[in-house]
Amino acid sequence: MMKKITDERLVLQNLNNIRIAYIIQTIGILGILGYDLDTKGLDGMRENPLWLVFMITTVISVYLSMSISADHENNKNKPQRSLNISLVVLVFISTVIGFFVTRTNGFKIIDGVIMGGILFICGLIPIIYIYYLRKKRLDENNKE
Amino acid sequence: MENKVKIARIQVNLTQQQLAEKIGVTRQTISLIEKGKYNPTLKLCLDICYVVNKTLDEVFWVEKE
Repeated sequence: MMKKITDERLVLQNLNNIRIAYIIQTIGILGILGYDLDTKGLDGMRENPLWLVFMITTVISVYLSMSISADHENNKNKPQRSLNISLVVLVFISTVIGFFVTRTNGFKIIDGVIMGGILFICGLIPIIYIYYLRKKRLDENNKE
Repeated sequence: MENKVKIARIQVNLTQQQLAEKIGVTRQTISLIEKGKYNPTLKLCLDICYVVNKTLDEVFWVEKE
């Protein structure tokens, strides 16, 4: 029977081992995807389920590292202000891209609206998440 | 990191294995701490101190160079 490891040194060592395995795994996935890209092209590569695995892991890792950067940054701006700036920039970018999609041949106005809407939502989620993290950290600082 | 774990352990008549079992770590970890090759967490330091009946100061304090 497996006994739970209580030794903190071994727990730490275990995490380091997992990190090494993860790095090797990522290199392997990238190698396979790179091979697919070379032989089957971009669409062929996207058909490989490994592409989905790779994208999901990347997105998760980016989200997790957000909480680290929120702690790391010595941001003097108020979270509310950063949120407002990000929102304005996001609305601007989605509108511009949506506008250019509507002007592209073969696309209707509705395509531009959908494209802009998707971009807006995809950008909105991380912005709200980082706002939540910064606000939480600020509240914790104020409590002390 | 230098420390007096070994001296404190011998004073209460424990082997590395016995000390390790009382705290719930492996003997290797105790050995590495005594050699100064592993930096234990504060929690583990406290656990060691409780077992050898000494304070953190007595076991782990080193003067600033």
